[in-house]
Amino acid sequence: MDYLALIAYGILNMLFVLLISPLFISLIKIVKAHAQKRKGPPLLQTYRNLAKLLKKETVYSSNSSWIMRATPLVNVAAILVASLFVPMIIIPQPTDLVGNIILFLYLLAMAKFFMALSGLDAGSTFGGMGSSREMAISALIEPVVIVVFAAMAFAFKTINLPDMFRDALASNVLIDPVIILISISLFIIIIVESARVPVDNPETHLELTMIHEAMILEQSGKNLAMMELSSAMKQLLLMGVLINILVPWGLTADFTPQAILISLGAFLLKAVILAVIIGLFESSCAKSRLFRLPGLFAIALFLAIITLIIEVFA
Amino acid sequence: MLEFLFPLGLAAFFLAVVVPLVGSKIGAGKVTRQASLIATIVACGAILAFALEIVFSNQSFSLFVYQITPQFQFSFLVDRLAAFFLTLIAVVSLAVAIYSISYVEHTEHEERKNLIVSFMNIFIVSMVLVVASFSMFSFLFFWEIMALSSFLLVMSEFEKKETQKAGIFYFVMTHLSTLFLLFAFLFIYTVTGTFDMGQIRAEPLITSVAFVFLFLGFGIKAGIIPFHKWLPYAHPASPSNISALMSGVMIKVAVYGLIRFLLLLPMQTWWGILILAAGTTSAVLGVIYALKEHDIKRLLAYHSIENIGIILIGVGLYVIFSLAGFEAIAFLALAGALFHTLNHAIFKSLLFMTSGSIVNATGTRNIEEMGGLIKRMPKTALLFLIGAVSISALPPFNGFVSELMIFQAFFQSTVLANPFLEVILISSLAVFALTSALAAACFVKAFGITFLALPRSEEAKEAKESPKLMIIGPAILAAMCVALGVLSLQLFSVLGFSFPLPNMLFIGALLSGFYVFTFAALREVASRRERIAETWGCGFPTQTSKMEYTASGFSEPIVTILKSIFRTQKKSERNYYDDKGVIFKDGKAEIHLMNFFEERLYMPVANIVRKVSLKVNNLQRGDVDLHVAYAFATIVVFLLIIWWFA
Repeated sequence: MDYLALIAYGILNMLFVLLISPLFISLIKIVKAHAQKRKGPPLLQTYRNLAKLLKKETVYSSNSSWIMRATPLVNVAAILVASLFVPMIIIPQPTDLVGNIILFLYLLAMAKFFMALSGLDAGSTFGGMGSSREMAISALIEPVVIVVFAAMAFAFKTINLPDMFRDALASNVLIDPVIILISISLFIIIIVESARVPVDNPETHLELTMIHEAMILEQSGKNLAMMELSSAMKQLLLMGVLINILVPWGLTADFTPQAILISLGAFLLKAVILAVIIGLFESSCAKSRLFRLPGLFAIALFLAIITLIIEVFA
Repeated sequence: MLEFLFPLGLAAFFLAVVVPLVGSKIGAGKVTRQASLIATIVACGAILAFALEIVFSNQSFSLFVYQITPQFQFSFLVDRLAAFFLTLIAVVSLAVAIYSISYVEHTEHEERKNLIVSFMNIFIVSMVLVVASFSMFSFLFFWEIMALSSFLLVMSEFEKKETQKAGIFYFVMTHLSTLFLLFAFLFIYTVTGTFDMGQIRAEPLITSVAFVFLFLGFGIKAGIIPFHKWLPYAHPASPSNISALMSGVMIKVAVYGLIRFLLLLPMQTWWGILILAAGTTSAVLGVIYALKEHDIKRLLAYHSIENIGIILIGVGLYVIFSLAGFEAIAFLALAGALFHTLNHAIFKSLLFMTSGSIVNATGTRNIEEMGGLIKRMPKTALLFLIGAVSISALPPFNGFVSELMIFQAFFQSTVLANPFLEVILISSLAVFALTSALAAACFVKAFGITFLALPRSEEAKEAKESPKLMIIGPAILAAMCVALGVLSLQLFSVLGFSFPLPNMLFIGALLSGFYVFTFAALREVASRRERIAETWGCGFPTQTSKMEYTASGFSEPIVTILKSIFRTQKKSERNYYDDKGVIFKDGKAEIHLMNFFEERLYMPVANIVRKVSLKVNNLQRGDVDLHVAYAFATIVVFLLIIWWFA
């Protein structure tokens, strides 16, 4: 195995996710603003926010412990490792080191676990509320995610994400019905995991609606910047999974500059389209009641199980 | 070497049992207790060395001890499977023995401390001998000693009403388990004519009946649903070191029994489905019931039920895949189940010991009265967190690796090419995923409410860190949680197995590398200014612990979503100052969760048994002559039966 190429892939992919992910946070905001006949923030606003937060002082609650200080770092570390698992523009050579889809999922779960703990750490009511809701929702979405991943594993006969992308790229069927079903479920998973309407509302700080925002309410300064950055990265990673499964065209396994540039362009184009779709989807529905959410998850689970049954009988 | 280590271990256990009993008679309580526990540590060390030697060299060791008649003999055979379980018993018992040196001193009665230490050693050695047994007779003999000694340990605070209930519950359930095992062994005996485990022969109908009895017997002891109720009663009632042993080790002995006999009997696919179904149900219901618990030890007890479920899921997959001819996947599932057995033994004992420390420090088991302990007991908090992270299956800790193995076996279920089996497996997979996520939610609650934010009671405010030995014992297990997770792939390859698992050493190194890198980068790039301020008190002058989220509040969304399982009943009464119901005066609200199994299954059965026994009671007059007549009549009846068949 060529370790150098693997390391180069890892660094490039990670830097790509790290640097590009905030872009899509602002992009979705712009789309939503336009849907409401507003102008919305500049495209680079999320970067400016992060830079501003890094310059600010960090305020810790007197109740809080080292959990509060460690959580932002654990989050960034877990998501950075997870970012090695989802090739965005270059598919690495086959390797066992990264790519296990279950490990990918549990790295995200690890970030979430510590985020929920930090929500309880300051002793504020809002944080606890956020943690409690977040853990409830994540518990309910988990069967969906696993069944969707199992469907992907069945469809591609592997549990390694890069291998799935390679298979998807090599497949000569333009659009496979199984992949479409998987994609719908994956889309719902993106909505849930990146805390978007109708599950959560990223715009408000109202105690009745917020989940994710409530958990990180007590974070400030550089720590808040890390939390924001890691959720942006997580969103891009999940978008990357959907894009490279459904429309892997342009993705490359070569290390030539030309192929990488084409792949980069193609990915950005597809991601922008997906971000617009997410923004429009968010604008078109209302925040649903917390206890109505299991219905939405049931739809995703239903689709995933249908996929599996098609796989079984095909 | 092996011939020397095993008897050495047993001899050390013998000393450890006898010394405190003598000590309490001659008034040398504390010294003999410590000597005894040091002997326990030596014994566990010897057994551990013995077992590891066998596990790594893959040989077997047999020892014939004593026979009453050729059928009823005490013979031992330790192969790799038994040695694996001996390792588990020895490691956990070693850590618990260290912890107990300090912990038993917190018990009130001087004489009782010695009894606890002595019985604890009987308990450990009986588990060692059950696993080592080769003949079904000695298996059952030591199984019963294990049951009785653990019953006495559960009853150690026998004057409490709660303990009496727990004790009776446990006593009845554990004997039901023994009874079913006895039936199973007799069935096997009728076919083979021997109690030797090595000579079980195939006979489809009889083995199926025997399997059902074995499954019931081991299932009751392992605490699968619906036979689980004794766990949440017995664990809170017994001392924490005993809970650690019972939950960490004893229920694993039942898992050993099940796996041992599965490997001996000719398996059938429906056994696998039964085990898988029971495992899935136990896993998901166990964690769902755990979520609503606020008694820290009862919460952990429900998690034991959950984890036994996960282990059984792995065993069930093994049976199904192996009968379908997919040996590699079957072996992955079985290895996952066995590895999870070891992992659960380690992190659950860790959690029980640290929760025992918390209970000692705060004087309560109710997590609603705790809080803020991370500042008062920082080391215990860290150890509990490691246990919580491991049981929530977060990478790179050990719990994750074993669940990953089971997940990977599930993910290959399309190879079965049998729609019926696949649908079962997929449903089980979805439920398994739910279980794993709910466990994480539950441990965010358990850790967050217990250790974080402000203390919710005076006792929690006054809590002090535990003595050194009560840190060292759990710390050994915490270190193993990390080591077994991070080094899992290397460990498997040393043992000669190759599984398609990710290299957790690499992932662990990356995680810690990125953690340190981010920390350093932030120091360079970001502002270093920090300020400590008070959490916003929602407009009140200062924030109090009453403003914090409670454990009930935390689990409320899940309880509401799953209300059909909890059979939640909410009642509220409101009183008003005016008769139009506008100005609210006071009121009362209750949430009642039904104890489904207790109300619908246990009590009806218990009532029938009670009615029957009242009838039988009429035969017992307490009259010696009458009882001698009964005995005589019984012998005559037996003689007639023998004459009839001979």
